[in-house]
Order: sequence, then structure tokens, then C-alpha cells
Amino acid sequence: MSEPIIVIEHVYKSFGHVKAVVDVNTEIAPGEVVVIIGPSGAGKSTLLRCINNLEPIDSGRIIIDGVSLTEAPNINEVRAEIGMVFQLFNLFPHLTALENITLAQRVVRKRNQEEAEATAREQLAKVGIPEKWDSYPSQLSGGQQQRVAIARALAMNPKIMLFDEPTSALDPEMIKGVLDVMLDLAREGMTMVVVSHEMGFTRAAADRVIIMDNGSIVEEDTPEELFTAPKEERTRQFLSQILHQ
Amino acid sequence: MTAETEKLRRGRALPIPWERIPWWVVILSIVGLAIGWSVLTSETYLTVIRFVMDGLRLTLQVTFISYAIALVVGLIFGLMRVTKNPVLYAVSTLYVEVMRGVPLLVTILYMGYVITPMLRDATGGRINLQGMPAAVLGIAICYGAYLAEVYRGGIQSIERGQMEAARSLGMSYMQAMRYVILPQAIRRILPPLGNDFIAMLKDSSLIAVIALPDLLQMGRLYVSRTFRAFEGYNTVALLYLILTLFLSLLVRIVERRTAIE
Repeated sequence: MSEPIIVIEHVYKSFGHVKAVVDVNTEIAPGEVVVIIGPSGAGKSTLLRCINNLEPIDSGRIIIDGVSLTEAPNINEVRAEIGMVFQLFNLFPHLTALENITLAQRVVRKRNQEEAEATAREQLAKVGIPEKWDSYPSQLSGGQQQRVAIARALAMNPKIMLFDEPTSALDPEMIKGVLDVMLDLAREGMTMVVVSHEMGFTRAAADRVIIMDNGSIVEEDTPEELFTAPKEERTRQFLSQILHQ
Repeated sequence: MTAETEKLRRGRALPIPWERIPWWVVILSIVGLAIGWSVLTSETYLTVIRFVMDGLRLTLQVTFISYAIALVVGLIFGLMRVTKNPVLYAVSTLYVEVMRGVPLLVTILYMGYVITPMLRDATGGRINLQGMPAAVLGIAICYGAYLAEVYRGGIQSIERGQMEAARSLGMSYMQAMRYVILPQAIRRILPPLGNDFIAMLKDSSLIAVIALPDLLQMGRLYVSRTFRAFEGYNTVALLYLILTLFLSLLVRIVERRTAIE
């Protein structure tokens, strides 16, 4: 197996008295698709946000492609290699879809306007809404907004993509379009860390599932193993809750 | 939303639909025209207007220059008020609390009669703020504090996710501010910014206390010479009103042109 692209070592993160992440250790290989599941408040989103330093960790180490986040000379350079997709999309409402996608390419990647626009149109086509380039976020449906958000992240040519519950704010009929885009991305070999309870996506795309509870990893394994023969009692409890709903 | 309503909405087309005509402006204009007619046909009022014209020019100069400086000062201190840097935060908070707490009249007197002579003596006369510079700085420093709070409110009203999305794309804090947060914040704070612009025009009348011949000072001078208080102050009040109404319209146009959603 090749060198891991993400190394997480003894990571702790608290908010006041609340321990959100407690001694988490794991490694993620290039091209691997990891889905993190667990009850609400388990620390899944916090762990994900620690990976691109949106939440600075209290102790431990996170190493992205050989660079430790806490010792990185320029955190912005590390972040440019990590795309992130948010639950509530977080598109820039004052910019059109195209401008949303070109902005960071121009100011961070220093691409010129034509180059950035070409990449943006290519990414919009890839997520299936090339005709929406001139629309403002308020004119798009939730599913379309999330696809623009994915295109915005992909246009930076990241090595890693983080997804923080990308479908949980969407109407049911919008979810499939977004998951299809994510499936394509997984098949192309993108390294992905996904916090989501979409079991269909997990079975189809995940190389590994991590179950978290109370800030710690309870169990991690391939989806087949984990869903059919969980080793931990806590895993069984949680799976019975989400699979029989 | 269709492309046509979109164009209208973005304010490029000025024709206003019937029901959205600002009727208060129409009524005021009719009243204003009536008063204007009687004023312009009266020799006394014409004399007053000619007498205070230079004062009107000074009032406008002081207002526009002070406001331009206050916009920049306010932005800088507003940004300092939202940083995590404790030194910048402390400095900006101190500035805002002090300047907001001291009456503008006192600030102007201070600039005119304390700071100006001190600076002049300390630099051997090389820096002399005597006159308009002292007045402009006094007003700009005071309003800079108000505007800093307006900017801060606007910046903090933008959802946290906007900054996070910008940073997650690799933008620096300042890049995120410049390209993502401020363009949205400034649209939201246009009404209070316009409000303070109008308030500043009126407050510029306080510079009369450091013997600057602005609109009010010239009006008072006219009254003290001729004892025509009625015509003198009528003219001053009317001219201030015309200016503020004009600014009010200007602010509305800017707001319409920059509206989103």
C-alpha cells in the first residue's frame, strides 16, 4: 500500500467542556473513499473539519500529504489541496455559479480569467448543470446549489475531497443527482472522506466505513464486513437504528 | 425569475412602476417649488442666498471630504473590531468607545483649540491644521467610530459558513474578507451608511464653533448684521433640507443599483 495521504494521530478537540474528538487515530490512502457514520454529536463533522484546519486541533497531529497542519508554513496552501463540501452549500450569494467557481481559482491558484472560466464550465458540465453558469445561487434548487459547490471545490484540482453531510439538507428528489456526482468522483479515484448516512452510496463507493461515538472511533472496516458482521455491540445498536428506520 | 425582470431588478432600467413612485418626494417637490418660487422672486431671500453661498460650498466640501475619510477609517477599525488579534481588537474598541462617547462638538473644539496648536508648536509650524483640516479631521474621527460599528455589524451579519467556504478553498483571511464577506456586508449596510452621511451633513454645522464660515455661520453672520432672523434662518434651514433630500435620493438610487436577491 502506498504512503497514506491523510494521517490522523492522537487527535483531541474540545469545545469548552464538551469533548468533541477524543484520541482519534487513522490513516487514509490516496484514492481511498472513507465514510464516517455515527449518532449525532459523535464528533464526525468536527473530525472532518479538523482535517482542513477549520477547527484547529487541541493536541495530536494531522499530516496531509506529508505536511503537518500544526506546523504548515502556510495553511492556505494546504487547504487549496483539500476541497470541502458543506451541508448548507455555502455558495457565495453575490456571485453567479460561474463566478463562484472562478473566484478561488483566480485569487488562490492565480489562473487568468479565460483559464478559470474554462475550468469552471468543464466542472459545471461534469456535475450535470452546464446551462446554469449565469444563475445566482438563489435561483437554483438545493441540489443544483450543492452541485455548484462540488464543482467549485473540484475546480481547484484538490487531492482530497471532504463531504460534510452533503445531502442532509436536500429534498429527497434532489439527493440522487448529488450522490451520482460523488459516485463518479469515487470511481475516478479521488480520495474522499464523507460524513453521511447515505447507505446506498456507502455500499456502492466506500472502501472503508468508520463508526464514531462520543468523539472516538468505535470500529472501522469495509462496508460488507461492518454491515453484516459488526464486532462491537455499539456498532450493532447504531446500525439497527439507521437501517430499520 | 425571467431575464427581463432580472435586468429591471438590477436597476439598470430607471423607469419606476406607477405604484412605486416615491410620493413623499413628489409632495415635497411641489411644496419646495412653491417655497422656491416665493424665495426666488423675493429680493431679500436672494440677498441671503447670495450671502451664504460660500458657506454652502464649505459645508459641502467638509461633508464630502470628512465622509470619504470616515469611510476608510471606519472600514479599518471595523475590520480590527472583528479580528481575533487581541491588540488590534483592544485598540479599535478603545477608539470606538472614546470617540462615540465624546460629543462631536467637544471633539471639534478639541481639534481646533488643543490638537492644532499643539501640533503646530511641536513641529515648528510645519503641520498646521488651522481651519478646514481641523474641522474635517474632527468630524471624520468621530464618524469613523460610528461607521466602524456599522461595518462590524455588517461583517458579523454574514453567515459563518461564507468565511469557512472561502478559507476551505485556500483563500487567506484578507482575501476572504475582500472577495466574499465585504461585498455582501456592504450591500447590507448601505442604509445605515446613507443615514450617517445625511447626519454628517447636518452635524457639519458644528464647525461654526471654530470660526469656520460654513452655511450656518454665514447665516448667523447675516442675521447679526441685518437683524433679519426670520429670512436668515429660513434660508439656512431650507438649504440644509434641500441638500439632505438630495442625498437621500442619491442613497436610494445607490441602494437600488446594488440590490441582490
